[in-house]
Amino acid sequence: MKNKMKLLLATGLVGLALVSPVLAENMLRVSYTEDPKTADAQMTSDAYTLPLNIFDRLVEAETTGPGESALVPGLAEKWEISGDGLTYTFHLRQGVKFHDGAELTADDVVYTIDRMLNPATKALGSDIFTFVAGSQDRLDGKADSVSGVKALDKYTVQIQLSQPYAAFLALLASPQASIYNRAFTEAAGDKFGLTPETTNGTGPFILRDYTLNDSQMLEANDNYFRGRPKLDRLLVRVVSDSETLRMLFESDEIDVFDLDYAPTQTPYFYGNDQWKSQIRAGARVGLYYYNINQKRKPFDDVRVRRAFQMAIDRQAILDKNFYGKGKLEDGVMPRGLVCYSPAAPIEHNPAKAKQLLAEAGYPDGVEINLQQVSSWSSKWADMNQIIQAQVAEAGFKANIVTTDEAAYLAARKAGETDAYTQVWSADFNDPDNFFYTFFSQSGSKVRAYNNDDAQVFADLDKARGMTDQAARCKLYQELTTRIVEKDAAWVPLFSLDHSFVVQKRVKNFVVPWNGWSDMSYYKVEVE
Amino acid sequence: MLIFVIRRLAVSIPVLIGITAILFVMLNVVPGDPVALMMKEHASADVIERLRAQMHLDDPLITRYLRFLWDALHGDLGMSIKLNRSVTSLILTAFPATLLLAGCAAAVSWIVGIPAGILSAVRRDSLLDNFFMGFSLLGVSMPIFWSALLMQYIFALKLKWLPVSGFYGWKYLILPAVVLGWSSAGVIARLTRSSLLEVMRHDYIRTARAKGLREVRVISRHALKNALIPVVTIMAIQVATLLSGAVITEAIFGIPGVGRISVNAIQSRDMPLLQGSVLFATALVILGNLIADILYSVLDPRIRSEMKRDV
Repeated sequence: MKNKMKLLLATGLVGLALVSPVLAENMLRVSYTEDPKTADAQMTSDAYTLPLNIFDRLVEAETTGPGESALVPGLAEKWEISGDGLTYTFHLRQGVKFHDGAELTADDVVYTIDRMLNPATKALGSDIFTFVAGSQDRLDGKADSVSGVKALDKYTVQIQLSQPYAAFLALLASPQASIYNRAFTEAAGDKFGLTPETTNGTGPFILRDYTLNDSQMLEANDNYFRGRPKLDRLLVRVVSDSETLRMLFESDEIDVFDLDYAPTQTPYFYGNDQWKSQIRAGARVGLYYYNINQKRKPFDDVRVRRAFQMAIDRQAILDKNFYGKGKLEDGVMPRGLVCYSPAAPIEHNPAKAKQLLAEAGYPDGVEINLQQVSSWSSKWADMNQIIQAQVAEAGFKANIVTTDEAAYLAARKAGETDAYTQVWSADFNDPDNFFYTFFSQSGSKVRAYNNDDAQVFADLDKARGMTDQAARCKLYQELTTRIVEKDAAWVPLFSLDHSFVVQKRVKNFVVPWNGWSDMSYYKVEVE
Repeated sequence: MLIFVIRRLAVSIPVLIGITAILFVMLNVVPGDPVALMMKEHASADVIERLRAQMHLDDPLITRYLRFLWDALHGDLGMSIKLNRSVTSLILTAFPATLLLAGCAAAVSWIVGIPAGILSAVRRDSLLDNFFMGFSLLGVSMPIFWSALLMQYIFALKLKWLPVSGFYGWKYLILPAVVLGWSSAGVIARLTRSSLLEVMRHDYIRTARAKGLREVRVISRHALKNALIPVVTIMAIQVATLLSGAVITEAIFGIPGVGRISVNAIQSRDMPLLQGSVLFATALVILGNLIADILYSVLDPRIRSEMKRDV
């Protein structure tokens, strides 16, 4: 035991001596509040920084302006889509090398998609390939490989869909669709992405060190096919406390401060002469919303739901809690999303809300619960408090119920939570990412809306397969009216800007099109 | 003595098993689904159901518990659901950081606490006594998250003497060790003081003084040895607690230790990891108590003879 202790102590000391975040030349130091757990994009549902920097995808969503993106060739230099929208043929760039020196081939793409659907992988992101022909049989273990994906030759891959799916190309640009090397990944088994030795991609950076709950160190890939990154190294630290994070930034120990982690610091940085010119802000293609669960009385009555929509003064929340840095949203799609057009404004009218409540049989007001999670950022609790006060004017007696995240998610999965507020940011630039997530038959239940509108379900399935983009956008706009006005199924609140403060030495820092905190640092430079 | 130790260790096995059983039942009463927690906002009913079945999370409670016990008996604490790494390796990798922090914090608390307690007792009601007791009261009553932020603000941000947070060298250990050590130094100083004052009233101290011994010798040879017995108990338990992870300190100062892992495990309902870290912490507390008992016998011959009688 004593020897073991000595050994442990010695390992700790050696560990301490090895890594030091000294201000290295040409190193960018960023931070996130949680450890990513893995670099394997198939095994995560929310930590995408490692995948975005270590791997590439067949197509990439490039940021072309604030809140705007375009799909550009990635590992595939061109592609064709058949007239019926069912067959996608990708021609791979030749000579692309993985970090271990192996060349990218069509077989790697086939392997990657099959690995996601292989039940033995236990992947979290298998949803993105739902429309690939044969995916369900593969997931159910009825097939040894997915039938819809084939390598036509060394550099050509063909993907067959079971039904047309308009968002498929956009989905291939999402981080979950990162491409892996067959030989390496098979050998790494379930350790893939967990350590530098078991991680291998084609991307601009190579994983060199990974200390759980502390940091990941990435190094430039000299052979990157788009050209070597300007940075030599990228240090990704895990800093769970937002006040510590701010002190780290102000004492120049990190280079980028994400105001999402400490929204209350917004006025400080915007008002500070040293920092205000260092703020990089961009629109977020994301929507803050208030969920309404129709399974919970009194929200089974559409008049009560409309009253709730009207009782919330969204502008006041935007101004007070988020310092006015955003835009009110009235639909299901936020600004910046393909097909977006402004929906009919929801008016703030407590008097009318009160009248609606009376019509619904609650002339003396009605009690409701607002649910929140103890481990979430305090911004949610702050929002609930202001909303609790606002809706009181219309006659809602709102109780705030706090649970832990596990209890909340378990209840939500069964469609049993009380009303809650959250945000959804685009994974890929298509309305499907918003509509289907919240208002499809399955989404409406597992997110606890229980908006059982058969017409909406049918139209959403129809829209997924439409190939005429103009008609598709029109259908989504009609669906917006039906969901928000007729069904009053949720309360869209606002979309926010996403602000970062960067040290003076950081150049070329651009907020990604979707406004995520997770991003590729390929183009960033430091002086 | 050896038999005493062996017997104590044998008794601890049912304790460990009991704790895991209680934990297993408790966590199954508390709502929460590790798979839903992994998927968070991206939850999809199909995927959650498939993964739950694959991870045997839908098996009956007793089946899962027996499987866990069987594996644990074979030295396998299983795989963490969320981190996808072996529980044993996760704990052993995080332990050196915790050990360093706990070691330094304990050193700070003893080096400050014991002399402060002695001086306060010897110079009872003096300015020095008031100062030390005020200082220790502050240490005991200030919540760690507050004293930590205060120290970071003064010594890192303003004076720039020390780094804010991280775990990359000795400099990074100073603030967390002082913050953590200060809070337990307070307890040790107060206990040393009161215990020494108590002992000083005994007849044998008067005898020692009557023999003409110098006051320093009276305290160091005669009084301290008896006064430190309760202090040693607290010290041993304190080290055991520190070793099972100082959750808040680790989070604020970015130390990748056992505490962070345990909190992760609780928040993500990661059963295997939680079982592992609780087993680990329980074993440390049992060990800490055993060491305290052994130290007693070294300090106090009466206890030594009692141990022999017990056996």
